Amino acid sequence: MRNRLLLPALLLGLVLVAGFAASTSQGVTDKTTRSQASGEVTLSGWASSPTETKLLKEVIRGFERTFPSVKVNYAPISGDFTAAMLARFAARNPPDVLYVDSNVAPDWIKQRVLFPLDTYISQSKLKKEAFYASLLNGFKGPDGKIYGFPKDWSPLAMETNNRLLAAAGVKAPKTWDELRAAARKLQSKVPGGRPICLSPSWDRMLAFVYQNGGTFLNATKTKSTVNTPAVQRAAEWYVTLINQGLAGTPAQLGVGWCGEALGKEKAAIVFEGNWVVPFMAESFPNIRFTVNKMIRGKQEGNLAFTVSYSMARDAKNKDAAWQLIRYLVGQPGMKTWTSKGLALPSRRDVRAPAGRQNFIAAAPAARPWQFAPTFSKVIDTANNELSAVIERKQSVKAMLVKVEKVSNDALK
Amino acid sequence: MATMARRGRGSTGNARLREALVGYGFVLIPMAVFLTFFIYPFFYALYISRFDWGVFGKIETLGLENYRTLLDDELFWRGLKNTLLYTAAVVPIQMALGLSVAVIVNAGIRGRTFFRSAFYFPSLASSAAITAIALYILSADGLLNSIVGGQRPWFGDSDTALWSLVGLNAWTTSGTMMLFYLAALQAIPTDVYEAAAIDGAGFWRTFWKITFPLLKPAHFFVSVVSIIGAMKLFDQAYIASGGSGGPNYSTLTVVLYLYQTAIKDVNFGYAAAIGTALFVLIFTLTLIQRLLFGKAEVA
Amino acid sequence: MATDAVRIDRTDEVPRRAFGERVRTVLVYVFLLAAALLYFTPFLWTVATSLKTLPETVGFDLLPDNPSLRAYREALTEFNFARYTLNSAFLAATITAFNVLLCSLGGYAFARLRFPGREFLFLVVLATLMIPDQLRLVPVFQMLTNWRLVGTYQGYIAINLVAATSLFLMRQYFLTIPKDFEEAAKLDGAGYFKTYWRVMLPLATPAIAAVTILTFQGTWNEFFWPLIILGFGDPDMYTLQLGIAQFRFQYQTLWPQLMAASVIAILPIAAIYIFFQRYFVSGVVSSGVKG
Repeated sequence: MRNRLLLPALLLGLVLVAGFAASTSQGVTDKTTRSQASGEVTLSGWASSPTETKLLKEVIRGFERTFPSVKVNYAPISGDFTAAMLARFAARNPPDVLYVDSNVAPDWIKQRVLFPLDTYISQSKLKKEAFYASLLNGFKGPDGKIYGFPKDWSPLAMETNNRLLAAAGVKAPKTWDELRAAARKLQSKVPGGRPICLSPSWDRMLAFVYQNGGTFLNATKTKSTVNTPAVQRAAEWYVTLINQGLAGTPAQLGVGWCGEALGKEKAAIVFEGNWVVPFMAESFPNIRFTVNKMIRGKQEGNLAFTVSYSMARDAKNKDAAWQLIRYLVGQPGMKTWTSKGLALPSRRDVRAPAGRQNFIAAAPAARPWQFAPTFSKVIDTANNELSAVIERKQSVKAMLVKVEKVSNDALK
Repeated sequence: MATMARRGRGSTGNARLREALVGYGFVLIPMAVFLTFFIYPFFYALYISRFDWGVFGKIETLGLENYRTLLDDELFWRGLKNTLLYTAAVVPIQMALGLSVAVIVNAGIRGRTFFRSAFYFPSLASSAAITAIALYILSADGLLNSIVGGQRPWFGDSDTALWSLVGLNAWTTSGTMMLFYLAALQAIPTDVYEAAAIDGAGFWRTFWKITFPLLKPAHFFVSVVSIIGAMKLFDQAYIASGGSGGPNYSTLTVVLYLYQTAIKDVNFGYAAAIGTALFVLIFTLTLIQRLLFGKAEVA
Repeated sequence: MATDAVRIDRTDEVPRRAFGERVRTVLVYVFLLAAALLYFTPFLWTVATSLKTLPETVGFDLLPDNPSLRAYREALTEFNFARYTLNSAFLAATITAFNVLLCSLGGYAFARLRFPGREFLFLVVLATLMIPDQLRLVPVFQMLTNWRLVGTYQGYIAINLVAATSLFLMRQYFLTIPKDFEEAAKLDGAGYFKTYWRVMLPLATPAIAAVTILTFQGTWNEFFWPLIILGFGDPDMYTLQLGIAQFRFQYQTLWPQLMAASVIAILPIAAIYIFFQRYFVSGVVSSGVKG
């Protein structure tokens, strides 16, 4: 009896042991990679808000507990981050991990100052698919490699002042026409008579251009598509709101940006991202406002502002830097980081805190705010031209012709 | 008493050599610092302006193409125009303000220390704080508008933005100019004034006929330093326009354009060309001033 | 001054003249006070803001509703204020000392000593003023990195050892001092350094006071180069301005704390200024050497 069972038992045992050994060695590989990463890692970025800095430090402490052999040197820069980074890149002495705004990502990828992470990704269990594709694509180079992981993001939404809208008997508008109608009714409720705040810059106007079916560049980013009827109509609608007195620029309203206009109750409707929520809570805690879904034109359209954690090409401690990035954009790290609602998680599998659904809802229609290398000059030009249009010194058409030319020149 | 005549070849030769060596010795360290941290970077910029130069170095050799592009660059010429306009406006105001205040607080008025401190205060604060305050005062419903009326956003209107910068900087730097003139006024011996008084000259005549001409070395210094500083305007233009040089290019200065090209576009080579062009311009302006004031140098 | 002598002469016409002069004097004082107030107002507003709470800083009121020293307490405790002040003081004092010494020495040489290439070298000095910081950023930073001076005080001091403005100022001032003094010193057998140290330097106290004030304040308020050189290193090494910048964030600025820190930061340089401006006193130089 014992003899007949012994062989299968032995075989089973062998299989079990073999299986166990195999899985353990996998675990051992993971663990050795983890423990191999040691030393110091420098993390640098800018400071978005006091609470955010605190949260980040908390996440870093969590990381250091999980990886006791790695020490993180967190050096936020409260000044010209871009200039400081470029100097460091040029001197081959950069921080290991750094923030990269999607706006500058094309330039920095082209300049080869960032390290492609694909090898590390394939060796780890990080699921790329968990991240919103449009956000992750913002940090992909022309070679298809991934140069950073979005740490958080925000689209634009429509924030409205509860008291003023109630006083005017107006509901939050959902379309362009409803916006205009609502603004007319709100004119008497705000000092200065301009109930909407519109920023005279393309990083807001472009969302409305998208809503009208227009684009800035074609899909392959080889040609400017700004001089088209769809874009012209959207830009004219935007500028007309201002020129008819239904909307005001921050300068006209006497504020630095539209968030301030919302807080000082100089505007009843503004279009800002998630950053306006903590700003209002800290600077204007008594103002009750609602975050509404962004309005739609012919279609939905929105911009996504996002920042990544990236590794510098000349990072001295790449293994440890990767561990840090992985942790920061991993599920637990991102959960802590976004727990206070200061930023929205860029992963689908991390739930945003309450009250953010109108931001998240914009994800499908939100396109990253970025273009091609050397486009910051194009955007500066576009913004200057737009301010000329708003001052009635030139027509929308002339602006678009100019922007088209500058864009195509930069794309050459 | 007349100085001892030192004519005689041998001793003069040695004396001159000694004087020259001492001269070089005295300026050695300053020149070393200037050459290392200023002149070398300038030649570095001159060198890379001939290339398409990225973060890690040469991308492509362009020869003089950057300069050719510069000649056709609308933004550069706009920036240059703004910078020259700004300089032409701000420098005379700065100098006049500084000199007037210096003369006044130098006179025997009561509360001299108080007034000297009051007028110097804006120069004491950091430029970021001052600009923040100015943005506040000059906003559409800020202090200035509550006094003069209207709803004009001074920094947000392309017609007034540059002039607002002129006003802001003339006000903040007048204290420093006052300092320079105050120091220079002390070098004018009192017997000069006494002689003028005995001749029956009043305050204004003394000032124009005696004080003002005697301040020539100071005028040269103040005008050179003012013009150079004005031509290099960056901080306030950046803060007031959010880095864009707007509205409608009105606050785009040459250095702001250089910054945009270098830092935002990472186009170091072209930025170097802009810097070289600016340098040549400022150098020429300074040489002209040197020629105009040159006679006063040999005191 | 001249006016004193004039007044003595005209005592016989006292009534009308004196009245006219008194009115003029009063007007001058009123104008001066108004101007001084204009210059002071921003500082008053800075102090007022430092006593407010963040939502209150919205308006331009000069009087806070509930003045509180909370911002000062936060500014002093939230970050290493004392340490930052010490750092700034050390750097400012060191750099000022170097500047006064080296620039007065160099200024004297450029003004009074003859050596071949003097005018050319002086133009080089002026030329350094014409190079914008943004252009120098990358090469200077590369040099400091290669020499391992990034993140060190030595690096920051090295690039600030002399300032062209100060050297220029000293030269101009030395040019206005009559040559009689040096010639007298020469007759006494003084060498070049002794002449500089014993004769020229004491005569140049107003210029030295100006250089001291400008250099100390310039270093104290500087932000760009400390950010580039010290910004990534040990936060304990930060200067005061780097510390104050920590109150600035991407979408908001903690105005009360920033203003509180700025007020405290102004006090030392205001003190330096008030102390040194006493050297701007007429009559230090008199040409009574002749004869």
